[in-house]
Amino acid sequence: MVLVFLSIRVLPGDPVLARLGAATEVTPEALKALRVEAGLDRSLLAQLFSWLSHAVRGDLGVSYISQFPVTQLVGERIPVTLELTFFIILLSCIFSLILAPLSILKPGGKLDRFIGSLTSIGLSVPGFVTGIIFILIFSLTLQWLPSLGYVPITEDLGKNLQLLIMPSITGALTATPYLVRYLRASMLEIKQSSFIRTAEGKGLSDSRIMFRHILPNSLVPTLTMLGLIVGYTLSGVIVIEYMFGLPGIGSLAIEGAFKRDYAIIQGVSLVIISLFILTTLLFDILCGIVDPRLRVTKERQNEI
Amino acid sequence: MTSSLVVKNLSISVPSSKGRVAVVDNVSFEIPAGKKVGMVGESGSGKSLTAYALMRLIKNPVSIDGGEIFLGGREILGLSPKDFRLLRGNEISMIYQDPMSALNPIMKVGQQIIESIQLHSPVSKAIARKTAIELLASVGIPEPESRIDSFPFEMSGGMLQRVVIAIALSGEPQVLIADEATTALDVTTQDRVLTLIDKLAAERGLSVLLITHDLGVAAQFSDEIMVMYAGKLVENGSVNQIFSNPAHPYTKALLDSRCDYTIDVNKPINSIAGQPPRPDNRPTGCVFSPRCAHVQDQCKTSVPPLTSSQGRLTACFRADELFQVGSAN
Amino acid sequence: MKFKKKFSPSGFIVLAIMAITLAAPILSPYDPYAIGVGEPFVGPGWKHLMGTDDLGRDLLSRVLYGGRITVFIALAATIIALIIGTLWGMIAGVQRGWVDEILMRTADATMAIPQILFALVCVAAVGASVVSLPIVVGILLSPTTARMARTAVVVELASDYVVAAKATGLKKSRLIMTEVLPNIAPQLLVQLSINAASAVMIEASLSFIGLGIQPPNASWGTLMLQGYGKLWNTYWFVLFPALVVTATILAFNSYGERIRVSLDSRKSSI
Repeated sequence: MVLVFLSIRVLPGDPVLARLGAATEVTPEALKALRVEAGLDRSLLAQLFSWLSHAVRGDLGVSYISQFPVTQLVGERIPVTLELTFFIILLSCIFSLILAPLSILKPGGKLDRFIGSLTSIGLSVPGFVTGIIFILIFSLTLQWLPSLGYVPITEDLGKNLQLLIMPSITGALTATPYLVRYLRASMLEIKQSSFIRTAEGKGLSDSRIMFRHILPNSLVPTLTMLGLIVGYTLSGVIVIEYMFGLPGIGSLAIEGAFKRDYAIIQGVSLVIISLFILTTLLFDILCGIVDPRLRVTKERQNEI
Repeated sequence: MTSSLVVKNLSISVPSSKGRVAVVDNVSFEIPAGKKVGMVGESGSGKSLTAYALMRLIKNPVSIDGGEIFLGGREILGLSPKDFRLLRGNEISMIYQDPMSALNPIMKVGQQIIESIQLHSPVSKAIARKTAIELLASVGIPEPESRIDSFPFEMSGGMLQRVVIAIALSGEPQVLIADEATTALDVTTQDRVLTLIDKLAAERGLSVLLITHDLGVAAQFSDEIMVMYAGKLVENGSVNQIFSNPAHPYTKALLDSRCDYTIDVNKPINSIAGQPPRPDNRPTGCVFSPRCAHVQDQCKTSVPPLTSSQGRLTACFRADELFQVGSAN
Repeated sequence: MKFKKKFSPSGFIVLAIMAITLAAPILSPYDPYAIGVGEPFVGPGWKHLMGTDDLGRDLLSRVLYGGRITVFIALAATIIALIIGTLWGMIAGVQRGWVDEILMRTADATMAIPQILFALVCVAAVGASVVSLPIVVGILLSPTTARMARTAVVVELASDYVVAAKATGLKKSRLIMTEVLPNIAPQLLVQLSINAASAVMIEASLSFIGLGIQPPNASWGTLMLQGYGKLWNTYWFVLFPALVVTATILAFNSYGERIRVSLDSRKSSI
């Protein structure tokens, strides 16, 4: 946890670096004016401090180019990203929970190796390539799904989902290989343990053992991993938003980068990293729910 | 009395650099109904594998190569996995060596018992829960109504082993196998658990197969003893016969090598010279011949069958002869 | 330290890719910048094996030259990551104590930042070029190498031959160079391969969103960006670079996996 908090302090360092870059791109006079206005003439540390203190209060500054408050821009776009991320995580979990148990049925068998090759290929294909292929097939050739754009959920649920199918599946396909591999390894390890032998000794069916004994015990270490995988996926979300024309904070970041609009970049970075921290926290809590051993504090206190 | 369990010519093999080698070689025995049999032997003698074979829990790459097992008169090796699964836990049950790792760590202890109860008889959750509480009481767990909702990490090794026993008995089996069930426990707890199993076996008319490398435990608990060495059953008789008058040279040497406070501290310990042979390196003829003090040429070329000698079964050509010598001393 | 002399298909492909891109000027049938060597939007055929783009440029040549750029950036980034990461990890592993703590915490923090976001921010600051990208991507990839190097160094330093060498009075720095380094080299090679794969992926992604190599220079990612815009007219403009990129990443990943597997099997047989 400490590490993730450290990272949030590291990244604002980068935008400060970005500001240095900004200094070289404008004409000297305008530069001087801009500098004073944006407070760039103050020392680096002072700038960082002032920005952080503003950020904590919800004020992410004003975009250099568009002059809109960054907070507003982010606020408008965050629901899109949240919805997309939600679906990606959901689909990744569903895919993994199907593929990993299938792999485990006969470890080393044909199905297992086949799934293994799929994951190998899966992690080598860049997210946007999968996206392109989907668009090629489903939008252009088959004309089933539109490829670009977004409709808010409040306006039209059907259209909203329709436009999100491909991006969500694309994102899920980038995260699933990692998740499947990890889940499989975890489940395989659990499968060898003593208590599974006890479960077999009771005469339980294979499927019951799989879903009531192996899977729940494999979830705990995987949940922690899932947090990290989400971080990795958030990267991909940026690209996915861009290529599918979804107005989320990822594409906002890209636009900001194009225009060298540092306020936007900083603001979005902060938000994305916070999102990451929040999801990691969420998964930590989930761990506690699944594994009673992690919940001891209350009970210990009662016993004492 | 009919036998609960009859094993005929059981052979189990594993792969090795020299192809498949037998780790349990042509083993046959019977466990009469209601009797307690102790199976003793060193690690690697094949005793645990025999037990797993009885439960049909043998998995790749280990495989059962031959033999028949009759449970309550019914041959079980030939049954389909699905059919046998109905018997597992129901007619024959097992308890294991390490109680701390034998239970699902994130599932309540009671739930694990209830799962087994509901598997073997169609009862409602409420009735299953009541039965589970009774079972916990019968294995000597205090306050079973609250303990039923505990998690394994909240209980000690001795208590956990009792829970495992409760689970094993929940299907009301005929045969109970205890695979080194007390090895991981301290001596006092060991004694309590053994007494418990003894009591339950008597109450329920169970046949028990106790597998252990501890001769003392075997002696205390069993009615009959089977001695395993290098995958073969070398002696099989009543506990009195075996311990007071061992017929097989290995059994004799094993008993001679015991240490307690009565031995002479100035004399060296009577250990058996050499090591048990590895499965891929078994000698032709009698498997104990390389280390036997009474070995003869015949022993090196042919495998001694289990023959009756002084009221018990021994796999030694010279059993009777050596007995004469022994009783003369 | 000898490797099993078995033919490795993925290793072969890796070398092939590097060789082909190196030989791009010789291999490409047309000048990649020459407009109008063929009709625009011609599909794959004998004259143009990968077809032509919107300006009539031969795609195969563009892909070959694009490969030069992408592969160069990837390899440069990998080497930078290797150098930085190994030094980082080794210093941490040798010094231990609070130096180790700080260095590793920093590594973890850097690893926690979503990759493309990091790259995006850096590119926004310093611009994207054939020089800046390897540095940015190299820094991005160094923490994982650092972690791995540190673990390897710690393990090696604890092993018997090191203790023996120390007992003979060998100086620490010499020890590290001559004894430890060669022994962790295979693991570093695995990391190298995997990093190369990641580097290709990141560069392609960056160029695809327009923040990487800019036209008229074109890396594979840039080509895909251009192709994506023209998707309605042609599919091969995007498809071929995509296939090549995927194949390259797959090759690097497989090669890395293969080495890792043979390393593990050798360890367990000891």
